[in-house]
Amino acid sequence: MSIARKCVPFTPFEGELSRSTIAIVTAGGVHLNDQEPFNIADELGDLTYRIIPEDVDSSRLKVTHHHYDHADADKDINVVFPIDVLRDLQSQGFIKGIAKKHVGYMGYTMQLKAMYEGTAREIANEIDKGSRADAVILTGG
Amino acid sequence: MKGIPTVLITVSPEVSAQMRPPRALYPRGFKIGNSLGGPGMRELQAQVLREALTILGENTRPGQIITREYPAYGEYHEPPRVRN
Repeated sequence: MSIARKCVPFTPFEGELSRSTIAIVTAGGVHLNDQEPFNIADELGDLTYRIIPEDVDSSRLKVTHHHYDHADADKDINVVFPIDVLRDLQSQGFIKGIAKKHVGYMGYTMQLKAMYEGTAREIANEIDKGSRADAVILTGG
Repeated sequence: MKGIPTVLITVSPEVSAQMRPPRALYPRGFKIGNSLGGPGMRELQAQVLREALTILGENTRPGQIITREYPAYGEYHEPPRVRN
């Protein structure tokens, strides 16, 4: 999937939330505690991302990111990655489902072109293929 | 090509605007690292998430960042500004 460069890449949402499956994509450096941490030693940033499965136990998530204070996310990951909140909304019938894949990456890079033309497209493709998401919640740090 | 509708929750609206997000919610005064609210504030987190999702179906202008107040947060933090 390519991403519009000059205009706002707006995709209308024509469904109903109560019939929709939602994915989370966060730039907040969220990953599973047994996945490789983001490389905060490289001053150019880290262009990689991590797939987070739908059935993740939120206590297994952590943050590796050195450009914001994530002490609150260390206590409750939902402040930047609201997976348990999304589950609450599902149990209330506000949304239909939780997507099969969610994505965490470190939203700091000096390699903007590579992020824009590489990582962003790869993340969009991950969500587009196999996540079954109808819409995406984006969060930063 | 079929896109995927997205909505951003941002606590740095000026910075986010530079990236032209399709739609965004700015919970006014939330600090960086508290996009949904503070730790353990599950009701507030759910309110912010419900309102962000609801924006998906509203007739927003592409690129619009909607500011909302959430008094339950109980704090105000000045968002980072973009230097011109």
